[in-house]
Amino acid sequence: MTLVGLSVRNLARNKFRLLLTAAAVAVVVFAFLVLRTIEWAWASAADWAAKDRVVTRHKVTFVMELPKRYVEDVKNAPHIKTVTWANWFGGKDPKHEHEFFAALAVDAATYFTVYSEMSVPPADLDTWKHDRQGAIVGDVLARKMGWKVGDKIVLQSGIYPGDWTMNIDGIYEAKARSVDRSTFLFHWDYVNDSLPQGRRDGVGWIVSRVDEPGRVADVGVGLDKLFEDRETPTLSQDERSFQSSFLAMFSAILAAMDWISVILLLIVALILGNTIAMGVRERTSEYGVLRAIGFLPKHVAIWIVGESLVTGILGGLAGVALAWPLINLGFGRFIEENMGNFFPYFRLETANIVLALVLSALLGAAASTLPAWRATKLKVVEAVRRVA
Amino acid sequence: VIPLRYNVRSLAVRKATTASTAGGIALVVFVLSASMMFTAGIKKTLGASGKPDEAIVLRMGSDAELGSVIEESSVPLILAAPGVKTDERGKPVAASEIVVVGAMEKLGANGVTNVSIRGVGDDVMHFRPEVHLVAGRPPQPGTDEAIVGSRIRGRIRGIELGQTFDIKKNRPVNVVGVFDADGSAYESEVWVDRELLRQTYGRLGMESSVRVRLTSPAAFDAFRAGVENDKRLGLQALRETTFYEKQSENAAMLFGVIGIVISVFFGIGAMIGAMITMYAAVANRQREIGTLRALGFSAPSVLVSFLLEAVLLSLLGGAVGAVASLAMALVHISIINFASWSEVVFSFHPTPQILGVAFFWAAMMGLVGGLLPALRAANTSPLKAIRG
Repeated sequence: MTLVGLSVRNLARNKFRLLLTAAAVAVVVFAFLVLRTIEWAWASAADWAAKDRVVTRHKVTFVMELPKRYVEDVKNAPHIKTVTWANWFGGKDPKHEHEFFAALAVDAATYFTVYSEMSVPPADLDTWKHDRQGAIVGDVLARKMGWKVGDKIVLQSGIYPGDWTMNIDGIYEAKARSVDRSTFLFHWDYVNDSLPQGRRDGVGWIVSRVDEPGRVADVGVGLDKLFEDRETPTLSQDERSFQSSFLAMFSAILAAMDWISVILLLIVALILGNTIAMGVRERTSEYGVLRAIGFLPKHVAIWIVGESLVTGILGGLAGVALAWPLINLGFGRFIEENMGNFFPYFRLETANIVLALVLSALLGAAASTLPAWRATKLKVVEAVRRVA
Repeated sequence: VIPLRYNVRSLAVRKATTASTAGGIALVVFVLSASMMFTAGIKKTLGASGKPDEAIVLRMGSDAELGSVIEESSVPLILAAPGVKTDERGKPVAASEIVVVGAMEKLGANGVTNVSIRGVGDDVMHFRPEVHLVAGRPPQPGTDEAIVGSRIRGRIRGIELGQTFDIKKNRPVNVVGVFDADGSAYESEVWVDRELLRQTYGRLGMESSVRVRLTSPAAFDAFRAGVENDKRLGLQALRETTFYEKQSENAAMLFGVIGIVISVFFGIGAMIGAMITMYAAVANRQREIGTLRALGFSAPSVLVSFLLEAVLLSLLGGAVGAVASLAMALVHISIINFASWSEVVFSFHPTPQILGVAFFWAAMMGLVGGLLPALRAANTSPLKAIRG
């Protein structure tokens, strides 16, 4: 029998304990993978966000409006190709009170030129442009709410009081992963014209396309400088940073997740370490016998570390097997549909699977160092005598 | 009944195993109670800001002071509504204030953050007796002197006693005092003279909110009817407690749910850890158990004894985790409050209930994890066990 063979045999000696340990590690690895996927989905959405768009908003928050004439000023600024604007409408369908979606009042003439990765059938787009009460909705939202082209619906808003009747004129589809497929878009003019005189001509934010993607930061700084001494100072950001400001609290949660991930790894180490320590203690006299017939302390250490390593990997594999279907087929879909603004693509990545497996193997090895070290230090005579 | 001392000694014999199992449970309890303490901290800070006998009046449709505008000319009409308390000189007890948010530079971290600036009248301390200065002196009415909340002090450039900061570009104010406000959200605000703030932000003759003291909490309905029935005003009245509850609802729920989900997952892992330990304990102590049974201890008392041992083990972990989480009370975290779009500093707030839940959860992990092993111990046949 080889050294490794003995290690594997030892592993199978208490099958029930192995099963329990692997199960405990699997549950924790699963939680770890969920956290990693959340962070990964958040971070990587930035890579897909358009690189040549800059968003200008009120310096304090997008809830406060900019004067409409700022749009002209942005248009005339250097390096700007096309410009559009939008307001947060905060819409709700009174028939589906609890469904949250982003409803934006946008400039019909320019919005889809700037957001060219959202595709609308040309005929529908044309109808919409001429229908003052028309709306274009994302395919995921349309399916969820059961809306079809031609439907007449009513929206309500906490910001703009009253009932807003709209016609669904078209459904957009995504040409890139970064697109939220649950947005509701309609005419800015429709809202603006219905407002009392004093509240008119405010825009939530201005989005512009820049001629060179590398210049987004410079252009943003230039725009802010332009408005610095005007009545409303602005903040211009790349698109991703702008989206983050919608979910301001999220950064605090992300920071907490890093800490929680570390705690998760500690728990894995404790569970594995405990199992291995118990196995070693029960087999102390055996190790004594093996040492007595000529095996060296390093052999004992290899058996122990190897056993722990394999247990860790088994637990890690079970965790991945648990996480893969749940994330990719279960709540990953749910998150993409309901939180598409922030997580347009929520899937378990190969890199994270590898990370989880490597970490569980490493933790397995690390957790066994103490019992292994103690086993190598044992005096043969004492070990043989030892009763578990 | 088998004496508890037997269990305590059994735990003490296997120090490494006891420590790692209890350590796993301690980590779970730590995460659980820290997340509950944070939720409680959010509720406490925002809840402490609202008093049951106070009402706040905002523009119809606004759910925060930031978006609300009230004409100064409406204020006397509000104060004339039924239910408003008057002081000994017959003046209504009320505070009409203006709130803006300024973007300011963070200290010790890169970036800007939003700070609520409240323009207050001269008699603000009279209306809010819970506010008192902890350093410096009260500001001179009608000057550019400011007082700042104790929680925001030292976090933003220039917001410190004796220093100067800009409430708008090139509009500096001097910090002459620092105030405490009973742990409420006011402690994250900056207070300046109302007239100064109106001039600076071009909001002459306007208020953001009007707060009134009611003759009793029950007087609210009459007051509300008085304010809201006058449709020309376009105002709404809220109980101050309701107003702040709405603000804390989302944040508190988010952190609460995250904490619970994580502790359940972690809890399963740690529970299996306890199960592994207890199975090993039962297996190693076959002879002891057999002897106990032979001595006349019944199967149920063996069952109870092992369950007690498991609970003892987990309570040990629970105690370590709970004590460690108490140290979090020293940590302050600032997050953007969604309703006011400005930073509010929250702390972890320990309560007896939270410690109770933490210990209960620890005991449950021990009880559930120990049940199967204890059943096996109770089912041990004395004869077989003693023979080995």
